[in-house]
Amino acid sequence: MLEVIAVYLGQALIAIGVLCDLVASIGLLRFPNFYLRLHAATVGTIGGAFVPLIGAALLAAGSTYLGAYRWFIAGGALVTAIMVLMLAPAGSHALARAAHRSRAAVVEPKVVNYLEEDEVGKSG
Amino acid sequence: MVEASLIVLGVMALFALSSTIATYLAITERNLVKAVLYSAIQSTLYALIYYLLMAPDIVLVYVPVSVGLYPAIVLMLIKKTEKEES
Amino acid sequence: MKELISMFIIAVLPIYITSFILYMVRALRGPTVPDTVLAIDAMTFDLAAFLVILAIFFESPILIATAIVLALWIYSLDIYVAKYLEAKEMGE
Repeated sequence: MLEVIAVYLGQALIAIGVLCDLVASIGLLRFPNFYLRLHAATVGTIGGAFVPLIGAALLAAGSTYLGAYRWFIAGGALVTAIMVLMLAPAGSHALARAAHRSRAAVVEPKVVNYLEEDEVGKSG
Repeated sequence: MVEASLIVLGVMALFALSSTIATYLAITERNLVKAVLYSAIQSTLYALIYYLLMAPDIVLVYVPVSVGLYPAIVLMLIKKTEKEES
Repeated sequence: MKELISMFIIAVLPIYITSFILYMVRALRGPTVPDTVLAIDAMTFDLAAFLVILAIFFESPILIATAIVLALWIYSLDIYVAKYLEAKEMGE
């Protein structure tokens, strides 16, 4: 009984993750500049990788036909999920900071940028 | 019911085609940092192809060398010399 | 139960392939360097989830170790490129 609940919950989480993945890829393709694409990348890493990894761990824990090795798959998926949860925001933050400080990314449809004005005022 | 081996072959062909495009762009690109990144795309796709060929031990060796060590060494070299190919 | 899980994974698989192709389009034609790195990043973390789901589909537990390695080492590419961009700004 518990295995059936785990399988259905895992399938629901994987379905949510796949939808987040598709939305994130469309957003990464359609957004106009780098700082807007960071939003889509957040949906793609946390919603598209962390959630289906938790779902895959539940799905593997519930599939009894794999025998005792199913705990191996569930543990590996859980470790990968925790790793993605820690590493993806850190990497995106380091990349955004480097892109802002080196002016590698151009802010194309710009309304106002207080951070840039502050830096110009401080140096000038 | 779709045959499982057919799915595997189709995915493998698609990713092999994409890695060919990435390799072509890596050769013809003038900006050397972008060429390193195209090479990283190619090695990521090769990792999936090795996985589908049921060789996880090759993946365990190939990913640290081609995604971890090789871009680090080449980016260090580009930082010491010049960015554009002349 | 085995039929149900296999059918579900086969139904999920084309959506993953579509999103990989869209990520790869952005990675190949991204106008600047940070765009390309961001697209590779998101694509590889999703690839790790895809490899775990395929390990359940193939019923072979030994394939699970590749996802951990892939998720760990693609983070280092981020840090290398970020350090390269910042070092260029600071004047070596």
